Amino acid sequence: MSLAPASCGGFFVAWPDDAEQHRCYEPSRKDRGIGQDRLTAMGPMAGEPINEQEALARLRQSDDPSMQYYGAWWLGRNRSRHPEAVPLLIAALQQRRPRDPGAGVEENAVARNAARALGKLAPAALMAVPELLAALGDPDDGLREAAARALGDLGATEAVAPICARLAGGPAVAGARQDGCARLVEPCEALLEALGDIGVAKPDVLTVIEPFTRHDWPLIRSAAARALLQLSGEPCWAEPLLALLGDSQLQVRRAALMDLGAAGWRPAVDAISTTLAENSLKLIALRGLVENGSGEPGDDALLAAMDALL
Amino acid sequence: MSVQPLISAVESASSALELLRATAALARCADAAAAPTLVEVLGFNNPGAAVAAVDGLIAIGSPAVDHLLELDQRNYGARAWAVRALAGIGDVRGLDLLIEALLTDVGPSVRRAAAKGLGNLQLAALTVGERATVAQRCLDALIEAVSDGEWVVRYAVAVGLEGLARGCGWSQGHPGHGHICTALAQLGDPSGEEATVVRLRAALALQRLQPS
Repeated sequence: MSLAPASCGGFFVAWPDDAEQHRCYEPSRKDRGIGQDRLTAMGPMAGEPINEQEALARLRQSDDPSMQYYGAWWLGRNRSRHPEAVPLLIAALQQRRPRDPGAGVEENAVARNAARALGKLAPAALMAVPELLAALGDPDDGLREAAARALGDLGATEAVAPICARLAGGPAVAGARQDGCARLVEPCEALLEALGDIGVAKPDVLTVIEPFTRHDWPLIRSAAARALLQLSGEPCWAEPLLALLGDSQLQVRRAALMDLGAAGWRPAVDAISTTLAENSLKLIALRGLVENGSGEPGDDALLAAMDALL
Repeated sequence: MSVQPLISAVESASSALELLRATAALARCADAAAAPTLVEVLGFNNPGAAVAAVDGLIAIGSPAVDHLLELDQRNYGARAWAVRALAGIGDVRGLDLLIEALLTDVGPSVRRAAAKGLGNLQLAALTVGERATVAQRCLDALIEAVSDGEWVVRYAVAVGLEGLARGCGWSQGHPGHGHICTALAQLGDPSGEEATVVRLRAALALQRLQPS
């Protein structure tokens, strides 16, 4: 997905309130839980329901990449524990295929989806960490993004140094716009979030992240503040996220909701409840406060806030 | 203030923002005469205005129910908003639509609202026999939805089950109370329920229904 500041989703532009549960992988976890009901039954590769054997078979064949794409998605979505799942996904992660604009297919679609699925298959997928680290160096920034998220999901501490190396140039280098398109040189949002999720709170890691709190794009600032809040627990890093809940762009408010939830920042409960966004996302954020946070407000107050949004 | 100018403002709104503002103003008056217009807004594919309209319809309450039930069922978006309104109003005339939504709707947010609504029906005015029938149908639907694939729906089912036990005045020893506690125990069991937040909510409901 484009990392560009949203051009859609102004302050009063309204929202559908639902999750696209059967959609193939979202381009960004920031979009998780956003979508329209009517899309539910028609994901890009959706067809009739399949079972695990069918998903493995689709991934194993190589004549039809769209079948592989769907098979990889299925295995991640359903948290497959089949012994063949991870090896097949590792093999799929090696596939390279140019983008086919006519068919509406993203570059390296199968490899990207394999990376995303691996992120959901801990602990078995920990054996895929070396291949995911290799994908972190791929020329395709979309694949680097998927690999970074998977490494974050897997809590792979081995990824901290290579991710920091990718970000080391700061907003002016890693965070600069690519020529001619609305993407950054590095998939900064995913890289920053992975550092927060992996959870290595060393000073040199914080030093790499901190300059991105001044990036031009609010989504990058949000990801950086989230990671710093996760790693340091310093309340000062909640402030930018709370401010972004009042941003004029819906996409930014959504991102800040997800980031406060990921950080489990419980003092944000009231601000989350009153944010102008769909209740589905606020509920996901509040779930994050319950499950990822601690302290005050306590569980009962958070659950009461969730009840009020149903 | 008369309702008619507010209705006219909704009908003549020429932009999404104008529609949202006019709908919010009409919703605030909570006058039954506004119900048909507010129901109409549910079908406009303007979710911000629909949110405001749902709030207004809930404030109007029972007089809005017939209008909601007459809505064109083929307009999926409008129907989903109507489920939210009916869930908030709690009138038993919405029972069939809420049960159907909980068990068959493709949208998790619609199933979520329906589950909460089934625990929120106003049963006090019913005869004892009617109340038993309605409560049983709510209970059956909520128990079926314990196996919903989405955590947020199962969370709402826990809330709905707790609300149903209170609404029925069931106390310990009543068979319905027992069924509700069994379903909540299932939602609170880590071997079957993967979402921590759902388990916590089910445990809270159980604790409230079975004070030790």
